[in-house]
Amino acid sequence: MSKATRAAGPLVGVLLLCAAASAGARAQTVLRWGADPSGGAPYVFTDPADPARYIGYEHEMVEALARAMGRRAEFVPADWETIVSSLQRGEFDVIVNGLEPTADRARQILFSRPYYVFQLQLTVRRDDPRINALADCRGRVVGTLGNTAASRLLAQTGLDYRGYADPVGAYRDLELKRLDAVLMDVPMEMYYARTNPRLRAAGPPTNPGTYVVGLRRGDEALKAQVDAGLEQIIRDGTLERILRKWNLWDERQAELRAQLDAPPQTNAGAQPAGFDLTNATFNWPEALLRLARAATVTVLLAFGAMVLALALGLPLAVGQSRGPRWVQVLSTCYVEFFRGTPVLVQLLFLYFGLPRLGLAMPGWLTALIGLGLNYAAYESQVYRAALEAIPRGQWEAAYSLGMRPVLAFRRIILPQALRIALPPMTNDFVSLFKDTSVAFAISVWELATAYRELANASGEFLLLGLIVSLFYLAMSLPMAHLARRLERRMQRRQQVLHTKPVEAAT
Amino acid sequence: MIRATQLEKRMGGAPILRGVSFAVGARTVLGVIGASGSGKTTLLRCLNGLERIDGGAIECGDVRLDAALDEATYRRRVRLLRLKVGTVFQHLHLFPHLSALGNIVEAPVHVLGEPRRAAEERGRELLAAVGLGPAAARYPESLSGGEQQRVAIARALAMRPEVLLFDEPTSALDPRRVADMRALLRRFAADGHTLVVVSHSLGFLAGLADALLYMEAGEVVEQGPAAEIMNAPRDPRTREFLAAVSKD
Repeated sequence: MSKATRAAGPLVGVLLLCAAASAGARAQTVLRWGADPSGGAPYVFTDPADPARYIGYEHEMVEALARAMGRRAEFVPADWETIVSSLQRGEFDVIVNGLEPTADRARQILFSRPYYVFQLQLTVRRDDPRINALADCRGRVVGTLGNTAASRLLAQTGLDYRGYADPVGAYRDLELKRLDAVLMDVPMEMYYARTNPRLRAAGPPTNPGTYVVGLRRGDEALKAQVDAGLEQIIRDGTLERILRKWNLWDERQAELRAQLDAPPQTNAGAQPAGFDLTNATFNWPEALLRLARAATVTVLLAFGAMVLALALGLPLAVGQSRGPRWVQVLSTCYVEFFRGTPVLVQLLFLYFGLPRLGLAMPGWLTALIGLGLNYAAYESQVYRAALEAIPRGQWEAAYSLGMRPVLAFRRIILPQALRIALPPMTNDFVSLFKDTSVAFAISVWELATAYRELANASGEFLLLGLIVSLFYLAMSLPMAHLARRLERRMQRRQQVLHTKPVEAAT
Repeated sequence: MIRATQLEKRMGGAPILRGVSFAVGARTVLGVIGASGSGKTTLLRCLNGLERIDGGAIECGDVRLDAALDEATYRRRVRLLRLKVGTVFQHLHLFPHLSALGNIVEAPVHVLGEPRRAAEERGRELLAAVGLGPAAARYPESLSGGEQQRVAIARALAMRPEVLLFDEPTSALDPRRVADMRALLRRFAADGHTLVVVSHSLGFLAGLADALLYMEAGEVVEQGPAAEIMNAPRDPRTREFLAAVSKD
């Protein structure tokens, strides 16, 4: 028996046991709850002291809730942006992740009674005196967590905002001046910004709202159990103890407890005048406007990156095939590096890695340069193939007319090579156009990001998906058509040249 | 005029040219004959600097290209040589992305710096001179082999070379046009040019060349006035070659 199979033996046994157990009484005794643990402090996150464990106030709360319900809590890590669809697909039974009961979500899932009252906190750089309230943010860029009450508030007030996948990224970009402010739920602000000496709170917390547990539609029985369980841990002080431990207790939480005995008006007591987050509905005209803006960004990104790729690809191609030895080696290294590593990794490196070296570029510029550098490697090979397809005789004819190499290249070789390169380059442009979607990884508001965020906010994955596809097709189909026409023209030309009868006189 | 002295050329260690010497004056046509692989084409490529010579020297007017020159000087002299020597390649190598007129004015405009208008005017005259006046705007792919060849000739002439090199000028031609081509080349010689014509067609060279040079294995076997070589070759190898070729 090899070492590996010896080790695998017990593991297989454990897995079989687990499978048997889960098939049986699991539905009754286990409460599977989903939350996003990445950058998830203080809700649920990886214990820095023991990375195999999750901790957080909601983690402790669900443990208590499950006990009150007579169940065992089982945590299922999920992705915040897609957490509602994961619930609907049945990956877990409930969402406990600082979920706000917005109207658009109410159409998709059930909500429990509220268990926490949060507020929003605006954060700016300490050395930036311009912003002291949300009203000062007009004309500036505000970062927040995507698909949250905060992002809906920013969208509805018409401010320019950028949705992030986790709070760490948003606060880091604030420090790097890619953002002017960050609006975030107080619990997150407390854990990720308040201790940072380079940041400061701009004004007091505002816009209170509530967190609730999310459940699948039709799970009314489970909702009743969850509501009862929540009532129990609120009444018996378990929740207060947990919140105090995490430094999250304030008088608003006490109001929540008082409401238990008041007539069931749900959140009315927690909402002061002003913006009502729980009534934030999905705004279609606004969404389409944002999609159109994203389409513009996508087009500009694709064009900008292609111009860079074409400008950089030519010297690379020439360097690789005709340069001195060291230039050849460098060009080949460049090409192999950028073709041999994923463009996503390259983008992440440029966006997160370069600021460590003191070079922080805004997201759109990073995406443009990253895609441009990546495609330059491919375009250099298109140029190279096209240059090599030009017969030696063309060089010799140019030389024997007294042309120097640079002139011969510019006037004779390059114009012919460009004709050969045009169809494959057009094809590459179509690919690049679609590849701009990787920019969503660095929060650039292009079509893919827009689709993900808007569809998550509204649940309209099908309809928005169709609209976004139409945006892409409206661009890529004409380009692909153009590429095919250019290719056919090239082929006809070559046929004419190759089938011409060579008249020999012998 | 062009003069070669003891030209040596090796490729991959193998000698291709071995002590080739000759001289051709203005208004004179030298025909170079020999079997395939005898070094004729390599000789032409040395005369316009496409191949670097390994020994000997080439002189054309005041330009002297010596195998012993250092690399930089050699390259500078090659460019000067190329301004005096025009070449019409066997496969022509017209620039397919330029019109007939574009092919002709390209080098005068960008190498000599002539104004485009003047260059085009002269280009049209040259096209008319080779009988292609109406074809100025046409592209090489739409021209017949013979028409393409005349564009290539006009392109070489546009640089006002003293010497014209032709590699197998009859290979692109319909047999009926061979006599026209011979007359055209005679006219260039009469205009004061020096011509070096590599051809395997003795019939073509018979009424064209003033002198003939027979090469074998990179060596000059025999050279002299055309009539003498054709009718009374002294070397048995020349006799053998002429006998073999005239049987075709």
